[in-house]
Amino acid sequence: MLEVSGITKHFNGVHAVDNASLNIPQATITSLIGPNGAGKTTLFNIICGYLEADKGAVQFNGKNLNGRAPHERASAGIGRTFQNMRLIKRLTALENLMLAFMNHKGDSFIKTMAYSISRKHEVRNREKAYELLDFVGLKDKSYEPAGSLSYGQQKLLSLACCLALDAKLLMLDEPVAGVNQETISKILSLLRKLKDTSVTVFLIEHNLDAVMEISDRLIVMDEGRIIADGLPSEVREKPEVIEAYIS
Amino acid sequence: MDYLLHILIMVAIYSIVSMSLNVLAGYTGLLSVSHAAFYGIGAYTTALLALNAGLPFWINIPAGIMLSGVIAFLIAWPSLRTYDDYFVITTFAFQIIVFSMLNNWVSFTGGPLGLPGIPQPEIFGIKISSHISFLIFVVTFAALTYLFLNRLMDSPFGRILKAIREDEIFTTSLGKDVMRFKLTAFVIGASIASISGSLYAYYISFIDQTSFTIMESIFILSIVIIGGAGNLKGSIVGSALLIFIPEILRFVGMPNSIAANMRQIFYGLLLVLFMMFRPQGIMGEFAFGKEGGVKEEVKKDA
Repeated sequence: MLEVSGITKHFNGVHAVDNASLNIPQATITSLIGPNGAGKTTLFNIICGYLEADKGAVQFNGKNLNGRAPHERASAGIGRTFQNMRLIKRLTALENLMLAFMNHKGDSFIKTMAYSISRKHEVRNREKAYELLDFVGLKDKSYEPAGSLSYGQQKLLSLACCLALDAKLLMLDEPVAGVNQETISKILSLLRKLKDTSVTVFLIEHNLDAVMEISDRLIVMDEGRIIADGLPSEVREKPEVIEAYIS
Repeated sequence: MDYLLHILIMVAIYSIVSMSLNVLAGYTGLLSVSHAAFYGIGAYTTALLALNAGLPFWINIPAGIMLSGVIAFLIAWPSLRTYDDYFVITTFAFQIIVFSMLNNWVSFTGGPLGLPGIPQPEIFGIKISSHISFLIFVVTFAALTYLFLNRLMDSPFGRILKAIREDEIFTTSLGKDVMRFKLTAFVIGASIASISGSLYAYYISFIDQTSFTIMESIFILSIVIIGGAGNLKGSIVGSALLIFIPEILRFVGMPNSIAANMRQIFYGLLLVLFMMFRPQGIMGEFAFGKEGGVKEEVKKDA
């Protein structure tokens, strides 16, 4: 589904990402772990198009994404959440979701003036938005500004936004960091449900308990390089992984 | 009586131009200081067509809208690739270029002599000449502008503009082409600004370059910020406030020469006070300077 080959990125002479290659099959949950500054978020930003790689290629569903703008990659089906929460805090939870739907005729300046067309899409999307809010357990918060939701609820809402985008690949940057245990299990069970509907999940996380619990596969990065890639139980035993975490 | 009508006409004209800037600055978060240039393009297009070709207003005003829109597109294309302060500087540069052109291209724009004797607009052969008929004429345009923009900003399109103002990266991550939306907003804002310029040219019947300076751009921006960014009614209230209050200075017996300078001090003071104590303006929802700029956000995430 996602194929990354030979990605290299320098920042002022430092190798942020050094010749990273990985392959993520459909309907799996893969975790990317590694110490701070290992280049995990940089790799995510390159895959999503926010940063341009010096070398290497990203392929999604067999299509080369090099040179594609971030919004084009998002509409191609790569949903992304961010480490520092990004939501439109002033808009309600519902409105945040309404932003995410693709192919809304009302998004275009000309077509939005054709009230009936825009209205039809709006009504249809609102139904879907309620369903999604129900799915992530935020239905009773629909009309509250996103900024007033708790941190965990905001994480759930950003996840719902990716679903509204109809993303086939979810790239989640620390989906359970700083969230209480109850919400963690809620998020993890949602991810499992999504996997069952053949959505692919690729996540960065420091919470190793959560990672071990959910991942089908574990990728470890250190100093820009991928140092291990395999089943969680195997990767955990590798000496270079243990060393990277201790040093 | 005519004096009061004159002020109301000016309030209506400034309402149009400040509502159009609100689309850019208030809703989309694009702090532009080139709005007087687009206002001027509307005024000069209308004046030149009316004087040289004798065309009626219902051709001249759309002509101004088109020209303004095309120029806005050409300007926005490169300048929207910059962020925050840099964007302000590119719009500032454009404003200076337009002013210099109006000032120096004497054979075309009349230069410092301006363009006198712009004929009054006619509807069905009736000249709009009295203050009251002009007020109706101008208020009609202001009302149409309000209805149009209100519909637009309430639509899904408007929701995306607001999202861009709050968090560009998030909006991009939802698959929206932020650049295209900004460009559209810029062109819409500039086109509508030209309407108020056309109306101004018809009303005053004489235009020169001094009405379209950078000070004028900043004045329009002050209306938007003081009235309230992200609220169209705020722009109307802001226009009324900033046009009415200086008039009071005349009545307290201040000589005209001092009153004119007092005005600038007054606007400056008002703007500083608002930025300090009520950055979201009278009825606005977005506070300039208090909420994170785009540049910082990009850095934080990279």
